[in-house]
Amino acid sequence: MRCPSFEHLSRRALLKGTLATGAGGSLINWGSLFNSQVIANEVKKTQKRCILLWMNGGASQFETFDMKPGRPTGGLFRPISTNLAGVQVCELMPKISQCMDKLTVIRSMRTSQVDHPGGIHLMHTGYAQAAGIRFPEIGAVIAKYLGRDGSDLPNFIKIFSHGNTGAGFLGPKYQPFSLNPEGRLPTFSTSSLKPEIESRRNSLRNFVEDIYARRHKAETVRMHREAYEAARRLQNVQSVFKIDNEWEKYRDLYGDSAFGRRCLMARRLIEEGVPFVEVGQSSYDSHADNFVWHRALVPPMEHAWAGLMADLEQRGLLEHTLVVWMGEIGRTPKVNNRSGRDHYVRSWSTALAGCGVKGGVVYGESDKDGVDVKDNPVTEGDFFATIYQALGIDPDTEHYNGVRPIPIAPFGSSVVQDVLV
Amino acid sequence: MQINKPTHRWQLNFEGEWPTSVTFLGDSRRVAAGNRAGQIFIWELPETPPTVEPVAEKSKESKRSTPPDLAPIRRLDGHSNSVTHLVSTADGKTLISSSLDRTIRLWDVNATPSGSAEVVLDSQDRVRKARYRSKDEKAAILEAPGIKVETVSAVAELKGHRDWVGSLGFSRDEKRLISGDATSLVIIWEFDALAPHCKELARWTGHPWNWVVAAALSPDGKNALVSEYTYKRDDFDIPAAALKIWNTADGVERLDLLKLQFPKLDVASTTYGAAQVWRKFVAGGLIAADLSPDGTIVAVGQGGETDTGKVHLFDVESGKLVRTVSGHRYGVCDVKFSADGKFVLSSGRDTMVRICLAADGKEVASLGKERGGQFKDWIHSIAISPDQQTVAGADIAGLIHVWQL
Repeated sequence: MRCPSFEHLSRRALLKGTLATGAGGSLINWGSLFNSQVIANEVKKTQKRCILLWMNGGASQFETFDMKPGRPTGGLFRPISTNLAGVQVCELMPKISQCMDKLTVIRSMRTSQVDHPGGIHLMHTGYAQAAGIRFPEIGAVIAKYLGRDGSDLPNFIKIFSHGNTGAGFLGPKYQPFSLNPEGRLPTFSTSSLKPEIESRRNSLRNFVEDIYARRHKAETVRMHREAYEAARRLQNVQSVFKIDNEWEKYRDLYGDSAFGRRCLMARRLIEEGVPFVEVGQSSYDSHADNFVWHRALVPPMEHAWAGLMADLEQRGLLEHTLVVWMGEIGRTPKVNNRSGRDHYVRSWSTALAGCGVKGGVVYGESDKDGVDVKDNPVTEGDFFATIYQALGIDPDTEHYNGVRPIPIAPFGSSVVQDVLV
Repeated sequence: MQINKPTHRWQLNFEGEWPTSVTFLGDSRRVAAGNRAGQIFIWELPETPPTVEPVAEKSKESKRSTPPDLAPIRRLDGHSNSVTHLVSTADGKTLISSSLDRTIRLWDVNATPSGSAEVVLDSQDRVRKARYRSKDEKAAILEAPGIKVETVSAVAELKGHRDWVGSLGFSRDEKRLISGDATSLVIIWEFDALAPHCKELARWTGHPWNWVVAAALSPDGKNALVSEYTYKRDDFDIPAAALKIWNTADGVERLDLLKLQFPKLDVASTTYGAAQVWRKFVAGGLIAADLSPDGTIVAVGQGGETDTGKVHLFDVESGKLVRTVSGHRYGVCDVKFSADGKFVLSSGRDTMVRICLAADGKEVASLGKERGGQFKDWIHSIAISPDQQTVAGADIAGLIHVWQL
């Protein structure tokens, strides 16, 4: 099997690390060559990961990536040229228009759930809701396959969380850890006790739990201990969540918005090795006043998104980080009498960038009014299969819910090979 | 303005994109209207509308009569995106339009036409009429030729804005114009009726996130009322609105009406309860504004999709809220004072025009009737004729209504 070059440590980094480690005494931690900070950093860099930019409520394809200028469905915005010859996007996205060489835009999404709860479940799991089965979110799957056991940071983090499916049948180990809309830690995650008191309390709890665990072999006991352990480890990395100083430096790059701060936080977490971070922006459900809503929501979003990709690229992380842009639904071609667009899933758009996907690709096509997919329809299953493939996870990998095999991308899904490197 | 027994005189078809703006040109029988595609048409209405026989669309329905339709005579070509406002000189010779295409255009409505065009402005009406007809009759109705109109080009194009021009106002002395855009930029223009042309006098910007959603000038053009608003950029944003009176000569702020209304409220760091009070007052933006003919009272209408859109009246001198009048379910679209300052006319998302007394807020008349399902269509814009006895409304259902008061 051929591995892309970025999957390997660079020779320069290996040498640098080896030499630095070999220099011996100057390093505190010198037991193993691969414990050197340089190599550890390089390993962190090459680890695959994913950032999901979640447009809650369903951003309009007509006001982003699939404009229909001059058509009755076209709306009020005008297209602008991009750095991809012959491709136009909405004028609300001037910064993303200059990143199109890094993006794969899919203009032919055709999905199956037209309402919000169903759509949010579908586009977080790849599956429609089903009685008796709790499907895992994409973040949980990625946490399982790309996460690091024993990491101080959680492997699945949501900033301004949407959807509550969580780890589903994968179990509590892969449950998401949610930050608030400001990207701050939830209050329960910070101890109000002095460290020495906290430590004594931990010892006592461990002692009691050890006794309990010897008598009760239940899985929940182990999970409870793991959860406490994860919370305790989180205390070691509280500084990662404090972005005020860095924000001053990066405000212009990400744009002065709450979504921009969340994206900066996502980059910090990714840089620290978190394999999956979801960043949400809400309020796209524009049944009324679609155009002014998008006029307010899209510019800060696209500014932050473009800034995030530039920052990831500058740090050498973009080629290992898949950035997924999507919501749960698209919006109707017809503008209703509230100047709004309603829910629509027969033809809408998503975008991918970074790890494993080509840049400068517009895949699929909708018809002249954006009513239906004209070429290359992509279902939710195909989309998820493609994401997993891009991240090096076999989409046919099966889990078992009881005796029932459940692949991580639904049976019959096809990877959209044309968009993958 | 004298309100007798309002009658619906004309119902002009303007189908296609939404009609967004309407104005009278010099008298009550010349009407201009613009739509969301950037088209502007001019109608000349005869003194007496023809009698229209009541018809029933379905055989079992009782017969209903609708006011007569009339074809426009001219189309003003140039805008490439939605027309947002139309204002005209009192003599009706010059029309001024603002647009989402980022321009303001001046039109000599009597200019020699540059060409002609055939247009169909009643395509939906044709479909309705063709229902329950034989195949041949249906074809004849649907494929009937359109109407022929003269086309006219603009005499001047003002390019001072770099974003959607969503606001336009004209001083009653016709010397100054105000325009505002989606970057919060306000421009004051000196209007030259002879050219006709405009020269920029002053410009200023508000909050960088805000848009100018409404603007109006005092009768002498010395004071400007500017309403800013931004729709939320994120879920927990509190709308950053502003409502201020500015000195047009130098762009210096004179009065912050919302600050006076909410002196203790800091929008950036407020409590949930205070934010709710703020939201209730500002609603989806104070998106319509007018100054009374004597320049002493400001009227602003609550827009966006709100519960019941009201019109706030402020005293210009003290900046205090005088009273709140009217009430359009789901929001106000436009607001105008009558020339005598006694009445406040407003239109909204309930397909209605409401006429209230400025003195006590009492509603004295309403034009139109609520139409549609849960959500009605909108009367997007209203105009009052120079003789004050005719009101026109731009209806997003593709109609221009003309009522005689």
